[in-house]
Amino acid sequence: MKLTSIKLCNFRSFYGKTCELALAVSHLKNTTIIYGNNGAGKTSLLNAFTWLLYEKFSAAFASIDQLVNKRAIAEAKIGQSVECWVELAWEHDSKRYRVKRQCRVYKHDNGIDVGKTELYMQVAGDEGKWYLPPQLPEDIIGQILPASLHQYFFFDGERIEEIVRSDKKAEIAEATKIFLGVEVINRSIRHLQEAKKSLENELRLIGDSEIKKLLKQQGKIELEIELINKRQREITKELEYQNTFKKETSKRLRELNAAKKLQERRQELEKLKASNQDNLRHTRETIKKAISSRGHTVILSEITAKFREIIEDLKEKGKLTTGISREFIQNLLDSSSCICGTSLFEENQARLNLENWLEKAGSSEVEETAIRMSAQVDEIDKQSALFWETIDKEQAQIGHLRNAIAEIEVELDNIEERLRKDPSEEIRNLQKRLDKIEEKITELTLEQGANQQKVINLKTDLESLNKQISRQKLNEEKQILAQRRISATQDAINRLTKVKVLQEQQFRLQLEKRVQEIFSEISFTPYIPRISEKYELTLVENTSGLEMPVAASTGENQILSLSFISSIIDRVRDWSQKKMLMVADSSTFPIVMDSPFGSLDEIYRKHIAQIIPQLANQLIVLVTKTQWRGEVEDEMSCRVGKEYVLTYYSPKPDCEQDFIEISGERYPLVKQSPNEFEYSEIIEVERE
Amino acid sequence: MKEQNNIDEVQEPINSASPEVRQIIERVWDLEKSRLDKKSFGHINDDILAIVKEAVK
Repeated sequence: MKLTSIKLCNFRSFYGKTCELALAVSHLKNTTIIYGNNGAGKTSLLNAFTWLLYEKFSAAFASIDQLVNKRAIAEAKIGQSVECWVELAWEHDSKRYRVKRQCRVYKHDNGIDVGKTELYMQVAGDEGKWYLPPQLPEDIIGQILPASLHQYFFFDGERIEEIVRSDKKAEIAEATKIFLGVEVINRSIRHLQEAKKSLENELRLIGDSEIKKLLKQQGKIELEIELINKRQREITKELEYQNTFKKETSKRLRELNAAKKLQERRQELEKLKASNQDNLRHTRETIKKAISSRGHTVILSEITAKFREIIEDLKEKGKLTTGISREFIQNLLDSSSCICGTSLFEENQARLNLENWLEKAGSSEVEETAIRMSAQVDEIDKQSALFWETIDKEQAQIGHLRNAIAEIEVELDNIEERLRKDPSEEIRNLQKRLDKIEEKITELTLEQGANQQKVINLKTDLESLNKQISRQKLNEEKQILAQRRISATQDAINRLTKVKVLQEQQFRLQLEKRVQEIFSEISFTPYIPRISEKYELTLVENTSGLEMPVAASTGENQILSLSFISSIIDRVRDWSQKKMLMVADSSTFPIVMDSPFGSLDEIYRKHIAQIIPQLANQLIVLVTKTQWRGEVEDEMSCRVGKEYVLTYYSPKPDCEQDFIEISGERYPLVKQSPNEFEYSEIIEVERE
Repeated sequence: MKEQNNIDEVQEPINSASPEVRQIIERVWDLEKSRLDKKSFGHINDDILAIVKEAVK
């Protein structure tokens, strides 16, 4: 962040618009000095920066509710508003920013009402085109320089020791953690852990995979089907064998004279029985076909009756009268001429007669449809009658065939009985064998049928199982993804935890080393700054060989504070150049200091004046004439790029005027106010 | 030289991560950094979940 200019309007002691204060930005001459006496507005100017950026004020800034210049309010009429604003421009990360914060006060009879402040921001990239940023201006500022860190860059030098006071230890520890990126790592780890929990819950919702169990079931069913099929093949072979055996036995029976007649009759009857059974099957098929093709006609009788009622009704109302059609009359009217040659022009009697007919005549279209549908309905009724005829006939046939089969069976039983009781032992044995074969065939056929049903059931089970398996496969993919996400999150947590440990060790030690170097460069004491594991900054001494905390003076604490700020800028700049995960990914930091050398000894003032412009990338110093003169001027003047003088206008009649001489030119510091108001103006110092 | 080695060592767990884990770390880092100034953490869990889900598809 490199500040380029600031401009104020009616902000505290500054009446109206100030000139735009261009700030020193070059590498060597990076310092802007603003001279002003006590009360001229140095603290106001420091607070103009913090108010604009963060809407915050320094501790020394009194009466924050009186932001708007008193003279501007006094001069405004009742009912008018007065605006107060600060405009700041800076560069950051190859972009230019122009930001304005303003607030208005409304003057009324009893005083003033203060409005809300508003923040506006415009950004320009390398190509120079200005645009409104996509994020909130506050968020952008927070990303460039977090609000929690602002007090280390915009501060009151007379109170700077406060940042290392014992009751502020926690605050500086927090700030250091933010600077070193530790806080961001902590939050990243914490929030990644929360995200991991959410991912684990998602995994739980997907449910445990049952795919292994289902696949096992699938295998079992497939094996069962295979075994049944094998048995079916065996049964078929066995049946073939039994039938052959039956034939041979029957043949042998026929060859025996005593049984020949009976056996032949039996074969005849068996043939007849088979043929009757065939016919029975055929009859049943015919019934099935009749039901599927014409069965519906039976349940349509109510609807066809209703249709006829509608047609009758239409006929009665004359809407289906045959003869002249509505379409025919309309055609005559459209052509304005009758078939007899009479012309049908507007309003003539012939035309009116014809138009009356239009009301009476039926539509030929409706009539045609009615005729067509009546034919279809007649067909339905005919089919219905035919259906019942077929069913009755086939049912009678079934009855007849059943009787015939029953008769044949009785006769067959008789023959078998006679053969079983035949005087010839051979015949008796052959019949017994036939009985056994028949028994076996029945048994096998039953088993075959049962097996067929079993296979059908198993195949249905298999189908539903396959569906479940493909559903589970989809779930399994989701599970794998969820698990991959969980382990990636855990890996990120582990790695960040490692980085945190390393970063804490490395960065804290490096920062501590730098604070020690800078402190010892400025201070003549043997004290050593320490940054504890809790990031607490303390001053210790170990002259007795034992490290002991020091009860440091205000001066020493001021030096410690400035050393800390300088070290932070120096280290963060270095780390961010090495592309580390740093909080401020910028190598440029400004410092705005108000009255920085107040209570310090000459030697300290000299050292600080020497060191700070070197370490900070940009320095803006607000000083009194006495703070500046001498060693500070000697050390800093080579670094000064811009200078301004705050001129205070006093309404006190006999006020003592004051001035500062710069480069042979006198600039007023205190002047007599031309009216009853006190206010300040800013003048730019122009050097040759 | 020693300092540079130490700095490399600090970054090593990130540099050696798989591309997807590295993406998660860097994007979460940026998100947390941009929210450093905010006191409430509303929706941060959703944002981080979205980062993880985008990185690991």
